[in-house]
Amino acid sequence: MQLKRTYLFLLGLILLSSFVVVQQNETLSKIALLTTQTKFEVGNTVVLKFSTSKSTKPLLYCSNSYGSTLVNATLNNKILEYNIPENITKKIGVLNWKLLDKNNALSGKLIINPKAEVATMETYIGPPSIEAGGDDYTMLVVIPTDSLDNPVPTNTLVNTKFQFLASEENKDIVTNNLIAFNNIYSKKESGRMLVSSESLGVNSKEFTINIAAAIPTDFTISASRPHVYADGNQITTFSTSVIKDKHKNLVSDGTFVTFFITNSDGNILKSTGTTINGIATAKMIHPDYADTWSIKAYVDGMSESNSISLGYKQVIQDFEVIFSEKNRTITVGPLQSFMKQMIPDGLHVKLNIFKDNKLVNTLTKTSFNGYVTFNLKPAIYQNDIYNFSIETVGLSKDFKTKKLW
Amino acid sequence: MVGLSKNIMRSILILSYILLVGLIISGVSALFSYLNTGADRSTMLHTEIKKVDQYLPKVNWQPLQNEGRPMDNQTLNALQNDYLDAWYVKQIAYKTNKTAGIKDYYTDSARENLFAFIERNKAENISIEGTTLNHNPTLEFFSEDGQLAVITDRNVIEYKRVFKTDTLVIETKETSSYKIVFLLEDGFWRIRHMVKEAAETYKETPKTVSVNSLNIKGINYYPQANPWDMFGEAFSKDTISKDFKIIKDAGLNSVRLFVQYEDFGKATIDYKKLEKLKQTLDLAEASNLKVVLTLFDFYGDYAVMNWTLNQRHAETIVNAVKDHNALLAWDIKNEPNLDFDSRGKVNVVAWLDSMIDLVKSLDAVHPVTIGWSNTQSASILKDKVDFISFHYYEDLDKLDEAIKTMKTEIPSKPLVLQEFGLSSYSGLWNPFGASDEDQANYHKKIQEQIAANGLQFMSWTLYDFTNIPKEVVGRLPWRKRAQEHFGFIDQNGETKPAFDYISKN
Repeated sequence: MQLKRTYLFLLGLILLSSFVVVQQNETLSKIALLTTQTKFEVGNTVVLKFSTSKSTKPLLYCSNSYGSTLVNATLNNKILEYNIPENITKKIGVLNWKLLDKNNALSGKLIINPKAEVATMETYIGPPSIEAGGDDYTMLVVIPTDSLDNPVPTNTLVNTKFQFLASEENKDIVTNNLIAFNNIYSKKESGRMLVSSESLGVNSKEFTINIAAAIPTDFTISASRPHVYADGNQITTFSTSVIKDKHKNLVSDGTFVTFFITNSDGNILKSTGTTINGIATAKMIHPDYADTWSIKAYVDGMSESNSISLGYKQVIQDFEVIFSEKNRTITVGPLQSFMKQMIPDGLHVKLNIFKDNKLVNTLTKTSFNGYVTFNLKPAIYQNDIYNFSIETVGLSKDFKTKKLW
Repeated sequence: MVGLSKNIMRSILILSYILLVGLIISGVSALFSYLNTGADRSTMLHTEIKKVDQYLPKVNWQPLQNEGRPMDNQTLNALQNDYLDAWYVKQIAYKTNKTAGIKDYYTDSARENLFAFIERNKAENISIEGTTLNHNPTLEFFSEDGQLAVITDRNVIEYKRVFKTDTLVIETKETSSYKIVFLLEDGFWRIRHMVKEAAETYKETPKTVSVNSLNIKGINYYPQANPWDMFGEAFSKDTISKDFKIIKDAGLNSVRLFVQYEDFGKATIDYKKLEKLKQTLDLAEASNLKVVLTLFDFYGDYAVMNWTLNQRHAETIVNAVKDHNALLAWDIKNEPNLDFDSRGKVNVVAWLDSMIDLVKSLDAVHPVTIGWSNTQSASILKDKVDFISFHYYEDLDKLDEAIKTMKTEIPSKPLVLQEFGLSSYSGLWNPFGASDEDQANYHKKIQEQIAANGLQFMSWTLYDFTNIPKEVVGRLPWRKRAQEHFGFIDQNGETKPAFDYISKN
């Protein structure tokens, strides 16, 4: 009986002790966070400390703006220390962590705050060219970043500065959504505007905005020519007045101007030029017969000129035609210009050959030393009766029933 | 005689000569035309490159009220594509610890931050499989010259699985908010700054659907002529309509249908198939039958990188039929526990978990279940599903015990015996197989057990099939033959004795 009691007692003790052990185990495996600081400035060392009573070193999972990783612990005097890697502590934003311990589901988050420090002023400006007049604008976007390439805190002051002609202005803006921006409007004048910005003592580079003239207004044109004769040789030059926008700014060099020339038959000739210092010029060769031109210029889709009229006088009043060599050689000339001088080489003369009132062929030649000679080969133009007509400088002469032999 | 054979010789010679010349000419011309083929000029423009769906998380843009220039849809689309690609290349980079692709989507200085992580994780043997399931971006700013944009992406649901020396150490689902600055460089919207502004552990709010009225007495259904290819070319409304009438007349009230993942077009749903599915549901409604729709049949990948594609697949189908009167419940996946060995239990369960969340977020009305292939797996995700489905092809004597165990593990949710049956095949490949009478006895007995245990049921299956695709049970003839004879109606259209026990009325 005694034995049985002792036995039961012992059994009970063992049972009891096992409970004690279990309880001890539970308290032993307790891990608690010691670090109370939850906000750190970017770039500073971050160490998360936990008190532990075990010797196991669980991993710490942590994740920031760009990625996630696992951190190993060091155990010192029952304190688990996790050195957060530098590539995490040097980026701003939320850092969330989790302790990978089965019995202690510890997790939390730290905030890595940006520094009020600017190392670089990342500046974007565009569009780089805007129109004068005060309606058009370009946008300056600044991303101030600290030495660790983080955006600066919200509401950091950025001072933007502009120089244009005589004026130098500045405007304060603040960062929001990681950036600061400002719209820069043009003035009435065209020219180049210089832009820069400054934040916390750091200045950006200089940026240039080209303020181009607005669209051209209507203009006038004029023509100049060496003489008024239609010699098919000299050149008439057309030029515009100085083309300006509505704010009296010269239009950009290279503005394309098209001159439309309408002759008395209603045909259109076209010549083009681009402006330099607001003036565009274009050229056109004289006609070779008396004509009247009406000229008007356009900057396509934007503005137009007045219309001017130019008359060209007949340069040759009459010419002679000589048939020789069995009527197979036809000499036209002398072709004499307004001062009885020989016409410059290159005047077109056209010979129409008719047989039985049907056009057989048309020969065209250009003058040389004031004469044009046509040779009719017997192999092509067999012996027969032909009619001829000769046209030049708008004149025409007919020769009926010429016999070739 | 000699002259004749000479003539024959001559004609043979001439014919062979013509043949030879013909062959040489065709050979030379083939060579000539080969040398004349070059790259098609149109390929210079690379117009043939098609966008491949690889990362399609749910993106829900907030109304555009940004500062700066108004955003057009085309640019917004380009921005979204590059943003998602940036996430995609990041996920791949952290999984493989390689930097391929990063430079296309992160600017020079931003990519350094990723490289630092990759370097560290590589050195420490850490790899991370992750995906994002939900994005809610707001466009904050778009610069006047269209070269810079800022967005805030709130409540991004991130799923991550972290491995250390190839062992899974943590699986985590977080909700984070990011502010991101993009620059347009070389035609890419590249990330310049990325700042995580908030992060929380993803909190599940389990939404349960009332299943009190659930009373499933049904059958797994495939048409006899085209099993496992129900919505293909052989789709016939008449056949299905007749079959549904047979099922209804037999005293059953529901059918279980299967939507195959690849067959339905993966992430971009084949609308013709979806239309056929809707027509099938219409027929079920006309026959007064309800439908348990099993998604993701024949899908077995579960890779984290494909989750977003799977979710777009499910989203389209759920949205298309969630309001249909014939719909009874969603079965997320058929027998996923069979993939535990090959794909890893963690993978499969996490996939199911996320998929349940998705389906419930789209359809708060219909209950959700998973068709486990055995009773042991039935308690997995028991808190997330609305009712428990399991399949039972084992010894009926052990069924009562198994149900008892399940009921203690899962006391509060209805149990549906979603597949059961006996093949009545006995023949060359299994001379000692069950007979039609054995099958009838089996159904008689199991119906008694179902009634005694208060289960709901769906039997396998209406028909004996003649043509089983190899994807179902493989190519082995003894398996195919067995699979062909589970029906209540045989291959000649005659009801088998078991048909009397198709339902316990």
